[in-house]
Amino acid sequence: MAFTMRAVKVPLNSASLEEARHRVFDFFKQACRSIPTIMEIYNLEDVVTPAQLRSSIAKQIRRNQEVTNPKVIDMLLFKGMEELNNIVEHAKQRHHVIGQYVIGEQGLVKDTASKDQGGSEFLKKFYTSNYF
Amino acid sequence: MAAAALGPAILRRIRLSPSPSSSQPFAAAAAAAASHPHALARWLSRPMSSHDAHLTREEVVDRVLDVLKSHPKVDPSKVNPDAHFEKDLGLDSLDTVEVVMAIEEEFKLEIPDREADKIDSLPLAIEYVSNHPMAA
Repeated sequence: MAFTMRAVKVPLNSASLEEARHRVFDFFKQACRSIPTIMEIYNLEDVVTPAQLRSSIAKQIRRNQEVTNPKVIDMLLFKGMEELNNIVEHAKQRHHVIGQYVIGEQGLVKDTASKDQGGSEFLKKFYTSNYF
Repeated sequence: MAAAALGPAILRRIRLSPSPSSSQPFAAAAAAAASHPHALARWLSRPMSSHDAHLTREEVVDRVLDVLKSHPKVDPSKVNPDAHFEKDLGLDSLDTVEVVMAIEEEFKLEIPDREADKIDSLPLAIEYVSNHPMAA
C-alpha cells in the first residue's frame, strides 16, 4: 500500500540544521505531490484549488520556522508525515480537512469575533495565540 | 451455420464510403488533406505521435509568468522574465519550493530534487521548462 511505503521506517536523525532543512523541503514536495490524490479522495474540487492547498501547507510549515534544533525539526517532520499519511489513507474525513487546511485558524476566529462587537484588544490578541 | 457467422464478420470489415467510386478508406482523407501534403504524410506515417508538439518559447514564458503572478505572495508588477525569486520578488526558500511545485503542476512535469534546487530565478525556470522534452 502506498501509505505503508510512505511511513518512515528508520527514525529521522538529522546531523545538522542543513540536513533537517533539506528534509523539510522534501516533505513539502511530497505533500504537494499528494494534493491531487487528496482532492479526489475528499471531493475538494469545488471547494479549493491546489494552489490554495499548497499555500496552507506552506503556512503550517512556516509556523515552526524559528526552530533551530535539528532533533526538534525531526520530531516536527515525523508529526507532519503522520498527518499526511492520515489524510492520504482516508483516516480523516472531509470536514477535518476543510476545517484544518481550507479554512484554517483564521476562518474560525473570524466567526467568533463577530459576536463581541465592542471586543477588547486584549481578548482579540488572546484568541489568536498564547504569546503576546 | 457458416454463412450466419460470415455475415457479421464481413460487415465488420466493410467500410461504407459515400462516393461509390472510392473504395479506399484513405481517399476521403486524401482529398481533404490534398492542400496540406505535410499533414497527410505525418498522418499516414505517425498518426498519433506527439513528436512535433513542442511548446514555443513565448508560450513557456507566458505560462511561467502567469504561474508567478497568481502566487499570493508575489507582487505582479515586479514579475518579469529576469526576476530572481529571492532577490527581486522577496520570496523565501519555502516560497521558492512552492513556486517550483506550481510550475511542475502547470507543465505536468516532475522535476528531480537536484535540478529543482538549482532553480531559483525566472530565467532558470524558463530555461528548464523549455528544454524539458515532456513539458505539456
